[in-house]
Amino acid sequence: MSAEGSSGGAGAAGAGADAADPIEAHVAELAAVLHGAEREKARMLSELREGLLDAAAELAPGCQPDHEAAREAVRQFGGVAELAPGFQRELTIVQARHTSRRILLLAPLLLPCWYLLAAAGPTAHRLPYAAQVLLAHLGGTAAATALAAAAFLAATGRLARRLSTPDRLPVMVAWTGTTAAVALALSAFTLTIASLLTSSWPLCALAGAVAIVFHAKIAASARACRQCARPAVAA
Amino acid sequence: MKASEVRGHLDGLLLSVLESGPLHGYAVITAVQERSNGVLELRKGTIYPALNRLERLGLLSSTWESVGERRRRCYELTDAGRRSLDSERKVWREFTAAIGSVLEPVQPRTAT
Repeated sequence: MSAEGSSGGAGAAGAGADAADPIEAHVAELAAVLHGAEREKARMLSELREGLLDAAAELAPGCQPDHEAAREAVRQFGGVAELAPGFQRELTIVQARHTSRRILLLAPLLLPCWYLLAAAGPTAHRLPYAAQVLLAHLGGTAAATALAAAAFLAATGRLARRLSTPDRLPVMVAWTGTTAAVALALSAFTLTIASLLTSSWPLCALAGAVAIVFHAKIAASARACRQCARPAVAA
Repeated sequence: MKASEVRGHLDGLLLSVLESGPLHGYAVITAVQERSNGVLELRKGTIYPALNRLERLGLLSSTWESVGERRRRCYELTDAGRRSLDSERKVWREFTAAIGSVLEPVQPRTAT
C-alpha cells in the first residue's frame, strides 16, 4: 500500500468517484482544479477525504454515515472555491522546491563537463575557441541559476519560519528553471556542432547527450511549476 | 470568533494542540474546537494545507498510521516546533497583557 493512503489518490477520486457520494464528489471536484506533483496532491486529498469521513461518522453516530451526514461534513470543511487556494499554494511551493532541487543538482554539472572537454587532449584536439567561449558563458548561466535555486530552497524551507514566502516566488523559480533549461539546450547544440569539428568527438557527443537529458528534466519541472503558479480556481 | 480573526494565530493553535502528543488531522481540528469551547470557528478543510506547511517548515513531522482498513496521517511536534510554540506563547502573553491594560476600565481619579 502506498503512502498516499488506502482510499486511492487524486486520480482515483477523479476517475472512479461515485457521483452520488458527496465526499467522493467533493474530493474529485477539488482534484480537478488543483495542479502539482501527483504524489503530493494525492497525499493531501487522501488526508482530506479521511477527515471528511471522520466528520461524517461523527455527525451520524452509531450507524453508517448517510448522504446527509456526508453533505454536512463537506459543508463544514468548506467549498472547493474556499479550499483550493490554500491547497494550491502548498502544492505550488512543493513543485517549486522540486524544480529548485533539480536545477541545483543538474545545472552545475555543465561546468565540469565543459572543463573536461576544454582541457582534454593536446591543443590541436581541443574544442574551437568560439565554442569554448560560448560554453563557458552557458556554464556560468547554469551556475547562476543553481545559486538562485539554492536561495529559493532556503526561502521556502526553514528560513520561511521567520520570513513569509512571496507569492511570486514560484513563478521566479519556474523562469529560473526555464533559463537553466535553455542554457543546457544551447550547450547540447554547441557540443553537437563542436563534435563535428574536433577529433575528440565521442567525448563531445557524450557531453551533448548528457546536456539534452538534463535539459529535458529541468524543462519538464519548470513547465509544471509555471502551471502550478496559475490560480487554482478561475475568478 | 470568525475564521478570518483566527487566521493570524492558526499556527500557534495547531502547535499547541499537538504539544501533548501526536494527533491525526481531524483530531487536531476537534481538539482546537473543544479547547476553545466551540468559540473558534474554523473552516475544517483549511487545516490540512496549514499542517502540510508546518511540516515543510520543520515544525511538525508526520507518519501514516493504519486504523482498521483506513490510514491516517499523524502529526507530531518537532523540537523546532516546541521552540516555535514557546515563542508564540511569549508573544501572545505580551500582546494580551498590553491590550488588556488599555482595555480594562481605569479607576476614576479622585479630586484632591
